[in-house]
Amino acid sequence: MSHVSLKNLKKSYDGKTDVLAGINLEIEDGEFVVLVGPSGCGKSTLLRMLSGLEAISGGDLEIDHARVNDLPPAQRGIAMVFQSYALYPHMNVYKNMAFGLKIHGASKDEIDRRIKHAASILKIDHLLTRLPRELSGGQRQRVAIGRAIVREPKLFLFDEPLSNLDAALRVQTRLEIAKLHRDLNATIVYVTHDQVEAMTLGDKIVVMHDGHIQQAGTPLELYQRPANLFVATFIGSPKMNLLEGVVAEASATELSVTLAGGQLLKAEVDASRATVGDRVTVGIRAEHLWENNEGSERFTGTVNLVEHLGEANYLYVTLSTGQDIVVRGNGEREVELGQTLNMSAPAASFHVFDRDGQAFHRLKPGNLRSSKG
Amino acid sequence: MQHKATRYAGSAFTHVILAGYSILALFPIVLIAINAFKDRASIFDSPLSLPNSESWSLIGFEKAMKNAHFFSFFGNSMIVTVTSLFFILLFGAMAAWALSEYKFRGSRWLLAFFAFGIMVPIRLGTVSILQIMVSLNLVNTLTALVLVYIAQGLPLAIMILSEFMQQLPKELKEAARCDGVGEFKIFFQVILPLIRPAVATVAVFTMVPIWNDLWFPLILAPGEETQTITLGVQQFIGQYATDWNAVLASLSLAVLPVLVLYMFFSRQLIRGITAGAVK
Amino acid sequence: MKKPLPWHIVVFLAPALLIYAVFSAWPLIDTLRLGFYTTSETGSQHFAWLANYQMLLFDSDWSESFWNAMGNNVRFFLVHMLIQNPLGLLLAALLSMRGVRGAKVYQTVLFLPTLLSVVIIGFIWQLILSPLWGVSETILTAIGLADWFQPWLGQEETALYTLSMMSVWQFVGIPMMLIYAALIAIPDEIIEAAVVEGASAWRIFWTIRVPLILPTLGLVTILTFVGNFNAFDLIYSVKGAMAGPSYSTDILGTYFYRAFFGYQSQLGSATLGAAVATLMFLVILAGVGVYFFFVQRKLQRFSF
Repeated sequence: MSHVSLKNLKKSYDGKTDVLAGINLEIEDGEFVVLVGPSGCGKSTLLRMLSGLEAISGGDLEIDHARVNDLPPAQRGIAMVFQSYALYPHMNVYKNMAFGLKIHGASKDEIDRRIKHAASILKIDHLLTRLPRELSGGQRQRVAIGRAIVREPKLFLFDEPLSNLDAALRVQTRLEIAKLHRDLNATIVYVTHDQVEAMTLGDKIVVMHDGHIQQAGTPLELYQRPANLFVATFIGSPKMNLLEGVVAEASATELSVTLAGGQLLKAEVDASRATVGDRVTVGIRAEHLWENNEGSERFTGTVNLVEHLGEANYLYVTLSTGQDIVVRGNGEREVELGQTLNMSAPAASFHVFDRDGQAFHRLKPGNLRSSKG
Repeated sequence: MQHKATRYAGSAFTHVILAGYSILALFPIVLIAINAFKDRASIFDSPLSLPNSESWSLIGFEKAMKNAHFFSFFGNSMIVTVTSLFFILLFGAMAAWALSEYKFRGSRWLLAFFAFGIMVPIRLGTVSILQIMVSLNLVNTLTALVLVYIAQGLPLAIMILSEFMQQLPKELKEAARCDGVGEFKIFFQVILPLIRPAVATVAVFTMVPIWNDLWFPLILAPGEETQTITLGVQQFIGQYATDWNAVLASLSLAVLPVLVLYMFFSRQLIRGITAGAVK
Repeated sequence: MKKPLPWHIVVFLAPALLIYAVFSAWPLIDTLRLGFYTTSETGSQHFAWLANYQMLLFDSDWSESFWNAMGNNVRFFLVHMLIQNPLGLLLAALLSMRGVRGAKVYQTVLFLPTLLSVVIIGFIWQLILSPLWGVSETILTAIGLADWFQPWLGQEETALYTLSMMSVWQFVGIPMMLIYAALIAIPDEIIEAAVVEGASAWRIFWTIRVPLILPTLGLVTILTFVGNFNAFDLIYSVKGAMAGPSYSTDILGTYFYRAFFGYQSQLGSATLGAAVATLMFLVILAGVGVYFFFVQRKLQRFSF
């Protein structure tokens, strides 16, 4: 059993400005937690504080209900996989994996048993006598993971482990890490700046920005109910379309917004805390705009760029108000540049954010496919 | 908390050693400098104290300045060092470019030929070098020193520069070639400006041994007119062996230019060394 | 298919090749040749096979002092290997530790002596150690070691070691900087990986850092070797060409100088000097050969 608890964790280098300002997070046993955010958001610093490589300036870090703030890394029961793999260049694969065990005084047989076991899980049995430089990037990655596995830690820490791999290998390794997590039932904290990696791997995703947790939740929660504008635009590709407007009418079940061009738009959100006249931002994802008039809220615009993905295409459309938006369309339907496009969306598919960027609670997220697709 | 305690102990140990050795490194130089400003009695009575109003005296400097050709020694050293450095860099870069850019028969042998000079000191050929200089009528000229120092500095310069040139992006010269730029223009207008970072490293590694060399000035240019500062100081101090004021003052004067230059350039210098050392 | 040598390559190579060949490579070869000649009293040189070497190595007038210089030179080298390089390693290791405050300042100060001329260093230490001035005596008295003081530079048993230590004091900056550069080139993450696995700083140093900088330690060794067996300036400026007291500080460099230029009643001889230079060349070549064929082959550079 391992349970990790971060209570008001702080990091400051000069004692004044906080790089991380009071992080609270609970990590359950066997949970795969992904810390994601743009570079400089503090995610790597947080991971290094968990590992013990970076001192904790304030708050409490507990692993299995014991405070570990001042314990050196080796006594925290963690293992870390580094971005550059950090394999010892002068030791072969076997010795790389044995190094930490030897330090902890494990017996030769025990070391051998664990390495053989980890090697067979990772399918690196045949590489044990090779030096790191004789391995490919993907193989080095496995060895780095193997070195973590043999230590049988309570908690695995991954620091952007896929960023040095090429695109194809990245997808493959991603799947393998997910499988490994399931097979080992390991508790993992994983740092990445790639939202696709975060969405595909995480049981829980923690979106960070400017040293704060913006939102923590399951991938679907983050996609369907982003807590604020930052999360809304960070999660999902292409970026959520945003339209500025003013509240015209507000209730606990519906919000009416007057958009910049004068169009009135209805969104099914709990707007009981909104007042008429407030500035708001309305968000709609490209995949939720339909190329028909089935939805209750309608838009018209001119197509000025098409990106073909095969099964779908992204249509870059300029609305009559001059605003640019992206629409995900049926990839097998011909679209001509300059063509006028009628689009619509149901009121349930809109996101609305107040002046401070905080979201109004969406009432009926999910399952918004148009009947005509 | 034990974790933190050992960390503090470790850091204290580090500073004790580093600071202790720093004092050892500075002490002799400081000692000479403070005593250079004292009168003879104080030099002997209280060598470790700073000069004060009673012991203050510039007599040593007066003697040293009056008698020595300090400025001409210094000028000679400057001329020799700067000229040598200029040609080492220019010829070294040209050769490095030829050896790293063009693959031709024997290029590997040529590289090995130059590499040989890094390990085998040029001093071993002194007997013949002196004969050559005699036959060229170059004994007691700065030219003799410059020629020898260029030959001495070239091997290392060629190695460092060709290593660096191989890392330059190919596209640069290929783009230039596509535009029909000639090979000389490519070298002088595209490559030379790009190797500036490596130049610093080469300069450090070649300049210091030249400036401080005693051997070749002693053998090739011992005449009064052509003495470098290193040789000049050596001979000059010998004459004053017992005049402590003059000896201390002239030592201080000899250290001064290097010290001043080092204060200005120490950062670049150390960066140059560390950059050159990691190959 | 044979292409004519493009003339721009010739132009690029010519100046460097010419100067290097004429003033470095050729003199070395010519020195090796001259070693086989002797100079008659009229000054004419004639071929004499191994006469010079026989005299230097076996004629007691010359061989005793040759072997003396060789032995001293070996001791000179050993002091550098046992004190200078370990000290350089220690200082570099401390400097390269993370979060050492003032590391840049320490670096600047510790490297300073290396930049000063050997002549100046020699005189400074000569003054400091001089019983006449008494600075070292005063300092030793202050720390309660007054009895230890001796005129180290003047005694046969201590003069060579004292000079070796002066040289160590001056040149420790070179191994320090080379090793420091190698140490900081090791990526942080490798060290951190070892920290996370529970290795102590001591263990990381010996099992991770030192093995990774072995190539640099090999380089430092060969540079020390070449530098020491080619040394001259310090001994000459402190002790003169006679390398006193009674040749106790004589090394190959000073021996070479005397053979070449003569001393006291003994006339100098270019051919004898050339023979000494040849012997020095062979010693250095042997060292470099060992380095390339045994050491460097075994030690692979690690790219990170």
